[in-house]
Amino acid sequence: MLTPIEKILFILLALVSAGFTIHGFKTIIDTIRKGRPAPELKNIPGSLVKAAITVLFQRTIFKARKALSAVHLGLFFGLITYAFVNLFDVMEGLIPNFDLTYSGKHIAPPAWTVPLINAYNLISDVMSVFLLIAITVFLVRRFIVKDKALTYRENVLLNPKVKAGGQARDSLIVGVFVIMHVTAHVLSQAFRLTEGADPFMPFASFLNSLFGASEVGVHVAWWVSLGWVMFIIPYLSRSKHTHFFMAPVNLGLAKQNPRGQLDPAIPLKVIDGRKYDPGAKVITDLAWKRILDAYACVQCNRCQDVCPANFYGRPLSPSALEVNKRYLLKEATFGSHPDLLQAPLTETVISPEAVWSCTTCYACVRVCPVGNEPMADIVDIRRRMLIDGFEIDSGVQTALQSLATNGNWMGKGKRLRGRWAKEMEFPVKNASEEPVEYLWFVGDTASFDERVIPNTKMVARIFHQAGLDFGILYQNESNAGNDVRRVGEEGLFEQLVEQNMAAFGKAQFQRIVTTDPHSFNTLKNEYPQFGGKFEVKHYTVTLLKLFEEGKLTIKNKLSHYKVTFHDPCYLGRYNGGFTAPRKLLELLGVEFHEMPRNCENSFCCGAGGGQIWMGKVAPGERPAENRIKEALSTFQSHPSDKKQLFIVTCPKDMIMYSDAVKTTGNEGKIEVRDIIQLVAEAVGVEEVSQIVG
Amino acid sequence: MNIVVAIKHIPSIADDLPVKGNNVDFDSVDFVLNEWDEHSIEQAVLIKEAVGGTVTVVGVDLIGELDNALHLALAKGADKVVKITADDPAADSHQQAKWLAEAIKGMGADMVFAGVQASNDIDGQIGPMIAAYLDMPYIGGTSAIEVSGSTATVSKEFPGGVGMKYAVTLPFVAGVQSAPKPPRYAPVSKVRQMAQTATVEKVAPSGEASSGLAFKKMAPPVVTGHAEMIEGSPKEVAAKIVELLKSRGLA
Ligand code: SF4
Ligand code: SF4
Repeated sequence: MLTPIEKILFILLALVSAGFTIHGFKTIIDTIRKGRPAPELKNIPGSLVKAAITVLFQRTIFKARKALSAVHLGLFFGLITYAFVNLFDVMEGLIPNFDLTYSGKHIAPPAWTVPLINAYNLISDVMSVFLLIAITVFLVRRFIVKDKALTYRENVLLNPKVKAGGQARDSLIVGVFVIMHVTAHVLSQAFRLTEGADPFMPFASFLNSLFGASEVGVHVAWWVSLGWVMFIIPYLSRSKHTHFFMAPVNLGLAKQNPRGQLDPAIPLKVIDGRKYDPGAKVITDLAWKRILDAYACVQCNRCQDVCPANFYGRPLSPSALEVNKRYLLKEATFGSHPDLLQAPLTETVISPEAVWSCTTCYACVRVCPVGNEPMADIVDIRRRMLIDGFEIDSGVQTALQSLATNGNWMGKGKRLRGRWAKEMEFPVKNASEEPVEYLWFVGDTASFDERVIPNTKMVARIFHQAGLDFGILYQNESNAGNDVRRVGEEGLFEQLVEQNMAAFGKAQFQRIVTTDPHSFNTLKNEYPQFGGKFEVKHYTVTLLKLFEEGKLTIKNKLSHYKVTFHDPCYLGRYNGGFTAPRKLLELLGVEFHEMPRNCENSFCCGAGGGQIWMGKVAPGERPAENRIKEALSTFQSHPSDKKQLFIVTCPKDMIMYSDAVKTTGNEGKIEVRDIIQLVAEAVGVEEVSQIVG
Repeated sequence: MNIVVAIKHIPSIADDLPVKGNNVDFDSVDFVLNEWDEHSIEQAVLIKEAVGGTVTVVGVDLIGELDNALHLALAKGADKVVKITADDPAADSHQQAKWLAEAIKGMGADMVFAGVQASNDIDGQIGPMIAAYLDMPYIGGTSAIEVSGSTATVSKEFPGGVGMKYAVTLPFVAGVQSAPKPPRYAPVSKVRQMAQTATVEKVAPSGEASSGLAFKKMAPPVVTGHAEMIEGSPKEVAAKIVELLKSRGLA
């Protein structure tokens, strides 16, 4: 179709375009390689195939924003179709007489290809329309409706270029490209229809009925359509739309070890004998995968939507972190500021206050459609800040100092840890002295906090009643270190692990049980890396088993309660412990209603990752308060005069939510209870009142 | 600038304090660094960071476990640590001051800091006594110390929001109430690294002194009354308070 001069021009243009594209991606790959070693991945081809399937069905994006995701799915298939469309368009341009209109009759194709050609014509024609609609939806969303989800809070640190609307410009360019490219392609098809409508090209035929056929038109439209492509492909490597290419790669190389296992502060794999300081100060201190994250990021802000710290008005936005990283990398590699690679992350991508606002709830990582881990960056930045002597919150410091000396964060002496057990009406075995089947790892809050101890005692009573052979470590237990590690104090974490491993070594037990999801997480997912070889159970699982084995039986059904349940991050999202608590509630016979944000999508109480230690409390509606309101509005849609309960399965939640009920003025309307209190009522075990004196 | 910080190891009160005879049961109690000493270490390191010099931390090893505190001091920025191997958990502040002064004498200190007091005896004597033994001036209750040349500007805070600044000529001894910034956090990895690599210099105790005081009896305080929590809505609570006050003839 093209004239010889046009062909030469096109080939030259294609070569230039390819040159820029190769340069773009080489720069990206070189930059990613500047990162530190990441934990080894197994079976990379397998994961890549899995990722390709995930991408094909766009599975991960449907975790949130269902309607927009459906539009994105269309866009995605449209663009895939267009990869073929462009290929055939090029062939039409370069190969004389190559023309697929009218079932390809001008090239006299073999009979068996005719249905294929028809299908191709129909699909590309319909997809063109769909693409135009989909892209219009996205452009309307960004530029006319101005969806707030695409903006950032005032107090969030943003790269100046992002502030100046760099992302919008990118979207506009790509949006205009898609519209012009697709329109030009369809027009070129329409102009080609010299013999009237082609039944397999309804849209092009419609345009043909308006504009007729035109030889010049075919050439102009062809050049507009493919000229754009030659420009946009190299541009993509420099814009936010690199996610077209990098997102599938990132998904294929996504975290393989358990969610609850943080990557070490210093890479385990050492390359060329390089020495690393713990954590990250500048961007190249991050693992290469964290740099890849920035290129894979769609900048969709889904992570920001689910971030409890962001909700609470804190200056933290996980997406801003990724976007800032991306712009920093762009200015350092494609721009003229290579020095930015050595700029402190706390000045360029995330403010120190934001770093310390993260609850490590994992919601951002869970929701991210491309497998990014903004939380991992935050923990690495904390690690280095601690080593570099950055001034930390006084409450966190007090907690850490107490953990280093006393093994708990509450400033209590070691010997006081088992005091609650000594007050019991039956002896609680000391697992350091006699063998037990279940080693109960009690944790700090359940051991020391006066508000939680009644529940701790109730757990002991129920275990005792069920004939469970259990014991505790008394003063030999230390904090498990889950939140210590997430605050970035890797050295202290290791010290605590050593202390606990020594205590476990002296005890004889078959498995560990704990009421504390935080201890549960690190014992289960991180201690194995330090030689821990034990099974760890959350008490909800153990309780369920005791019921199933008939060792606990329900005497009173609790149908007079209307309850909802909060999934603790470290039990639910991190470790998938969704069913045991729900099954227990079903057994207990309560009226159960699920809150809108449940299971994987549960909303953090705001206490994790060291937040509970913070001395300073920021103003604004706290996540826990918002959660109580969510529970109440859930109950509102099921009115009755039953007593309304908010059920928790985490000692920290007991404190967070009891406070939140008070601060929101909802006492009397809703009561926070540990599931053990319901179990006790149902099996008929009563609180033994203590004589306080 | 040569700064010496005299520290004190004291029984921890994180646990219930065990009592044996008429003193603390030293065998079943943990020892920790005196809280005010954390401030004097911080103050010394801040001066070193501002004008250069060395910080030497010296303490009496009462139970053979002072190393932990000394490693912590190193991790926070001290350059040298010295322990006086006394092995006498009951040594009082006068005795400790004497031992410390003897150890510090030959160090050529420009400034000696001690925590203004310690929570085990609250007699605030170590600083003044070291000053007396070393024949140096003493200034206690400092909240900030800045050095320029051979003079230090020492700030003190008084009740009622009154502050005062003193110009003090070096050398001198200061009883540190607080450092101008909260004592820094020493990451455990650094402390452990110090424990593996640093050397703790040992000095034998020399000299004798005594406060002349003897313990007559030590016992946990007797609980004489307890707080009563009034529960209910603010209105109900207010009503109950009024009732209570009336019943006690106060309203
Ligand atoms: S882990 Fe949770 S709090 Fe931290 S950035 Fe992600 S969503 Fe926000
Ligand atoms: S990190 Fe993931 S969820 Fe967050 S903006 Fe980027 S792509 Fe979206």
